[in-house]
Amino acid sequence: MNFDFSLIISSIPQLLEGLGLTLQLWFISGILGLLLAIALMLMRISGKWFLYAPAMIYIYIFRGTPILVQLFIIYHGLPQVEFIRESFLWVVLREPFGCGILALTLNTGAYVSEILRGGVNGVPKGLGEAGAALGLSKVQRFIYITTPLAVRLAIPAYSNDVISLMKSTALVSTITLLDMMGIARIIVSETYAPYEIFISLMIIYLVITWGTQKAFALFERRMSRHIIQ
Amino acid sequence: MESLTGWWDDFFWGSLIVVEVFLVSLVLMVLFGLLGSAAKLSNSKILQKIANGYTIIFRGTPEILVLLLFYFGSAITLTAIANIFDPSIKFIDINPFWAGSIAIGLVVGSYATETFRGAFLGVDPGQIEAARALGISNFKTFVYIRIPAMWRLALPPFGNHMLSLIKDTALISVIGLQETMFVAEQATANTGEPFVMYLMVGVIYLSFSTIITLSVMGFEKYGNKHLEVGK
Repeated sequence: MNFDFSLIISSIPQLLEGLGLTLQLWFISGILGLLLAIALMLMRISGKWFLYAPAMIYIYIFRGTPILVQLFIIYHGLPQVEFIRESFLWVVLREPFGCGILALTLNTGAYVSEILRGGVNGVPKGLGEAGAALGLSKVQRFIYITTPLAVRLAIPAYSNDVISLMKSTALVSTITLLDMMGIARIIVSETYAPYEIFISLMIIYLVITWGTQKAFALFERRMSRHIIQ
Repeated sequence: MESLTGWWDDFFWGSLIVVEVFLVSLVLMVLFGLLGSAAKLSNSKILQKIANGYTIIFRGTPEILVLLLFYFGSAITLTAIANIFDPSIKFIDINPFWAGSIAIGLVVGSYATETFRGAFLGVDPGQIEAARALGISNFKTFVYIRIPAMWRLALPPFGNHMLSLIKDTALISVIGLQETMFVAEQATANTGEPFVMYLMVGVIYLSFSTIITLSVMGFEKYGNKHLEVGK
């Protein structure tokens, strides 16, 4: 066994060919997941049992099972069900890419909705009461008072979840997709140099994580610019 | 559901392996977490740097990557070492159980490092000073004062780490550990019913995480007993 430093450098361009797919999975499921999370969070704080009960069950199931299991149920399991093959969903589920997006979206939606709920619950009650005293409607209070403050409170936890979503995209290599992880596994099976290839992939992922953390730190600073220290 | 007939025992043994991996990696996670937080809180710059490197690397890369690196990496390293003694050995197959448990123990241990560090910092410094004034040794202070005070603070995030651990065990099927995901794969190949089989795996994991959540709630209640008197 000899450690080949040049292989670390030379494999990076090859691995980066999968970066596009990793980023697509990350951004698309990140945005769809956020929309799902907002819907779930609104259902949970609605105070109506027929809205918060389904949301709670959904969150319980998707946070309680591994994302790999969810991915396999969607990729291997759902095509077996007749009415799904005949429905419009088949357009999405026919491709492993669609399955990956769906699994990542459903999973991250459950986690992010809890983060958003934490943010909303963290806003002091007095502010909402002040809004009510000024004659703002419930919707107005939520949009103009609760939301801007809740966003600021939720950013640190949300950034962690965005990073963990990025890490979860590596799992799509198990359903034949060639993201960076998938390409790395092919190169390793060809060269049999796991250390070099996987370490260069680690470096790429670390750079993405670091960049994301920096971006969120800037965003948080901007959102907190009115706070008097 | 009838397609599950004949597979119940396989799922049972698979679940048992999940529990074994969970327990081994739980011990490793606590160990790495304590070592990491001790290094971060120490006065040594070198130890702090090592611990920072550890948390940055293992929190910033996908679990599956760490797992594959460990599995394939240790296989070729061990083969190379064995070749020094006996050149006829072509390949040593490393046990996926240990490679997997160590890998996820290391990954979740990096999260536990931050949790434990925060919890140790949360212990009132006055209590440590009081112990020192009473002439209690550093070791005894650690065991009888720091640990009982910090575990209550660490418990809620620690519960989340345990949930991550149990869910990460599913990944180890990728390197061929015969746990529930692996059973589902085999059962699918035999029955052609992937939906039922993977749903079964989901139900198993959901029960495990429910048990963990409930036990953490119980521990929290027990740990904060002394706080309820004043209420």
